[in-house]
Amino acid sequence: MSERNLTLSTGCKDGFPIFIGYFPTAMAFGLVVKNLGLRLWEAVLFSVTNFAGSGQFLAASLIGSGALLAELFISVLLINLRYTFMGAEVARRLEDGITGMKRALIAHGTTDEVFSISLMNPGRLPASYMAGLELTSYAGWVSGTALGFLVGLVLPPALQLAVGVTIYAMFSSLLAQEFRKKGIKVLLIAAISAGTHSVLTLLLGVKIGWSFVVSMLLASFIGSLIIREDV
Amino acid sequence: MKTFVVPILVSALATFIPRVIPYWVSFLDKLPPLLSRMLRLLPIAAFGPLIFPGVFLDYVPHLYSGFAGISAAFILAYFKGGMILPILSSIVVTYLALLLGA
Repeated sequence: MSERNLTLSTGCKDGFPIFIGYFPTAMAFGLVVKNLGLRLWEAVLFSVTNFAGSGQFLAASLIGSGALLAELFISVLLINLRYTFMGAEVARRLEDGITGMKRALIAHGTTDEVFSISLMNPGRLPASYMAGLELTSYAGWVSGTALGFLVGLVLPPALQLAVGVTIYAMFSSLLAQEFRKKGIKVLLIAAISAGTHSVLTLLLGVKIGWSFVVSMLLASFIGSLIIREDV
Repeated sequence: MKTFVVPILVSALATFIPRVIPYWVSFLDKLPPLLSRMLRLLPIAAFGPLIFPGVFLDYVPHLYSGFAGISAAFILAYFKGGMILPILSSIVVTYLALLLGA
């Protein structure tokens, strides 16, 4: 992207493709949490307060399996640790003088896609541009959640069980995309964590949230040993 | 009726904390490379346990219905990209597999 005047409206324009990408994923989320027994306002509250793709799906599946709050907290924290790295980059590029509440709001809106798009700009990032970019993405995420929930209400009961597969299909699609971008190592890491989690929960009776944490740490540790370059 | 507000807010906190820290603190340049690579791999490592063994167990006694569905999603996402089509196809395939008693 060449040097442009970064304003609220260029932010909104840059955010539009993110809106389009988030909307169907958020619909899938709305559907999933509707099947878990959440009410519409709870589904919307979920997306409003969390605003995180994988983190929310993880939280939903742990809530569905009756995990403890501590398990939920640590697992979601781990999956969201990448935002710390992304935020560090964005924070370095913000214009001077953005402080307090504005900084906190920009932090809340830092998703994977917002991170990538905002850093394509060569210069410093004004708060108005970040607001446009993040609010547009946020609108797609929150409205998609609500619509997905409503679609779930009119779905025939025979389809309900089949629709339960959406949460797994979402992860499976994300995994396929990572696999295409980064190669076979991605599948290897996922296989290690899937195998560890299955053994711990099914054979050793470890609680699901803790087993999740252990599997994730073990697989990414092994992954970091075998993959030298940045993934 | 059961309320989900507490776990939703716990999850929100676990999302906001890692997001907000770097806007006030800078320590990330000092992490050892192994640790930094490990942290970057965490989201990929999460996919395994997010899918397995749940995708089998949710469909007992039709053990393979969900797996058939996500396989369709995986293949479509790999070759065509996107999420809508893969997710919709997984619903259809799972539905058909359940009808066939897989």
